[in-house]
Amino acid sequence: MGGLLSYFSGLFGSKERRILILGLDGAGKTTILYRLQVGEVVTTIPTIGFNVETVTYKNLKFQVWDLGGQTSIRPYWRCYYSNTDAIIYVVDSMDRDRIGISKQELVSMLEEDELKKAVLVVFANKQDIEGAMTVSEVANALGLSALKNRKYQIFKTSAIKGLGLDEAMEWLSDTVQQQK
Amino acid sequence: MYTLLSGLWKYLFQKEQYFVLILGLDNAGKTTYLEQTKTKFNKNYKGMNISKITSTVGLNIGKIDIGNMRLNFWDLGGQEELQSLWDKYYAESHAVIYIVDTSDKERLDESKIAFDRMLKNDSLNGVPLLLVGNKQDLDGCITIGTMKELFTPVKDLLGSRDSHILGASALKGDGVMEGIEWIVEGIKRNSMDRPPTQKDIT
Repeated sequence: MGGLLSYFSGLFGSKERRILILGLDGAGKTTILYRLQVGEVVTTIPTIGFNVETVTYKNLKFQVWDLGGQTSIRPYWRCYYSNTDAIIYVVDSMDRDRIGISKQELVSMLEEDELKKAVLVVFANKQDIEGAMTVSEVANALGLSALKNRKYQIFKTSAIKGLGLDEAMEWLSDTVQQQK
Repeated sequence: MYTLLSGLWKYLFQKEQYFVLILGLDNAGKTTYLEQTKTKFNKNYKGMNISKITSTVGLNIGKIDIGNMRLNFWDLGGQEELQSLWDKYYAESHAVIYIVDTSDKERLDESKIAFDRMLKNDSLNGVPLLLVGNKQDLDGCITIGTMKELFTPVKDLLGSRDSHILGASALKGDGVMEGIEWIVEGIKRNSMDRPPTQKDIT
């Protein structure tokens, strides 16, 4: 029945796709969310809880959830996993000290059954700062080559400067659309 | 009796699973080749709009079933800095498709260097290799004969592995069928050395 309903809702107009923005605290998740939504850099404070906004990109509606990234609240990420179409995983490319922790969080997240079908997009953020990790450094540090059954893509981004976000959204909307 | 039944069970519900790597420089047409493969071998697959394919910085996957075989494809990004990720997949691969853009004469040497580096890796010893001269539909591309000459000096590196050169136009879908058919045969011939993993059909 549910399948039938979703089939019909697919015929009429666009269904909202659900995207989670995850990553360690201070990676730039909230800045990215509002960059995507209003196209501006907003002043943010550390997120305790979540922010959720609807972002429209090329006729596709995305419901984007930005979850707080601090150690104590990371266990609550899993409450938001069901029905997720895509995960934007944000990495602070300057934070070499904590990239290992970021990897652990990513690995345990991707083991979840509810996220089996979700597309993974990694944002190597803060690329405006000199000395930031390159794409291959980030990929190696996150151990992305261990992913054998999941499509993923990495983008160099700078949420502050607005770099890379358009390409990423373009790729994401094409991919999510094809997935259904 | 048990073996008979379990054999029947396997025959009905298990597939031999193989992994195929698609490599080559960026913009060689790897993702397009993969999309064409998926479209040609999966009846219900509605392909991605080929014109929308952008450069891969990461991994694309695909799977097709041929008889009792399931082929899983890994299409990796080809940009120079991403080539360092290729070798992480070698040990688990059963075949490699290496794609060359035959219309981009300036980068043939670069492609050859990446190709040689790949062949030198021991983890790929004996793995069947299909060399695809892509973009044969474009004016001014080099012929497959010329490409053969360019890439033959690596014969010593090839060792005992099966190899084959084919022309293709991934954009138009020409030569993709033949390529995959060759890969299937190559994998079968090599399956004593690189056995498949069994997988229940899900």
